[in-house]
Amino acid sequence: MLADEATFARLMAAMQQGDRAAANVLLTEAGLWLERYFRRRVPPGQVDDLVQEVLIALHAKRASWDPARPFLPWLAAIARYRWVDHLRRVYREAGEALEEDAGAQDSGEDGVLARLSLDRLFARLPSGQAQAIELVKIEGLSIEEASLRSGQSESLVKVNIHRGLKKLAALVEKAEPT
Amino acid sequence: MNEQTSRAELIAALAENCAPVRRVRSWEGTALIIAATGAAAMGASAVYGFWHGMFAGEASAFFWITNALLALLGGASTAALVAGALPQVGPRTAAPVWTLALLGVLPAGALIALVLQPEVHLHEGLADANALHCLSSALAAALVVAIAAVLFLRRAAPVALERQAWLTGLAAGAFGTLAFDLTCPLDGMAHLGLWHVLPVPLAALAARVIVPPLIRW
Repeated sequence: MLADEATFARLMAAMQQGDRAAANVLLTEAGLWLERYFRRRVPPGQVDDLVQEVLIALHAKRASWDPARPFLPWLAAIARYRWVDHLRRVYREAGEALEEDAGAQDSGEDGVLARLSLDRLFARLPSGQAQAIELVKIEGLSIEEASLRSGQSESLVKVNIHRGLKKLAALVEKAEPT
Repeated sequence: MNEQTSRAELIAALAENCAPVRRVRSWEGTALIIAATGAAAMGASAVYGFWHGMFAGEASAFFWITNALLALLGGASTAALVAGALPQVGPRTAAPVWTLALLGVLPAGALIALVLQPEVHLHEGLADANALHCLSSALAAALVVAIAAVLFLRRAAPVALERQAWLTGLAAGAFGTLAFDLTCPLDGMAHLGLWHVLPVPLAALAARVIVPPLIRW
């Protein structure tokens, strides 16, 4: 069973005081919480990397938690920050393996949830941008193939991907964590 | 190595390296920015001389209105900046945007007045002899405030970097100009409305470009 807010807050206060045992329990429990958080947002192959990134961030920025405030919204804000950063990094690196590929390989419930989450975001993009991202970044087509399939010029495909990803990152950043 | 082992090792290493920390407090950011504004004001007064005329009834109403609006914008931006310096969720205040809009009334009023004054050529009103001096000095003072804000943000954990960058520029531009204004006896509407307001958007734009890499974590 996951720790509750009060337990997290108590452990975090102890961690700020340098209590190593509390830190160990807190990071373990936070890891489980983050696993659930990211399972609905990224393909399964990337969940653990993101969880570990956030755990490192939690540790590095532990001085920024105010005991007068709840712990989980603080953790969720850091998780979202790392998630947006991760999305930008993934999309920026040209030629990198597509994040959705990993989800397709696993083809489990988590992959479907991650896909649904992306679909909800795609629905808020102009159709040309969503189609260009879908074809190149998810289906893995080359720019030329995507151009032929979509009827957009190669330049337009590139522009639509660039603008669409920028908007996507902004949408994610604005979205409230749940 | 499987994921669970890898994560367990990471957690063990992080927990092992868990020294006590001094918490980041919002008021520290406010205090730092106000102290930097004070330092900028003292520096400007030392270099250019404090304008005692403002307390001898020599200052026009525009002088007080301009500086009151700069103080409001600086305060609203600082409050939003320190609130956003620590990770949290929830609605964000729009106070800086509204106070910036209020400040925008001044250059608009100055321009309208210049255009409607037939005896004054527009270019003379737009670029008086002291324009660049006031602009550059206010920006120099803003830099002092901006450095303080960035130092605080680097210690904290901002999660909306672009917003924090804008707020840094607005707070620094407003408080920096306010600090310099203590030395400037030119209190006409055109001079104040243009050259004592322009540093704010300039500082905000510069901060938007420069600050995000400095506060990324």
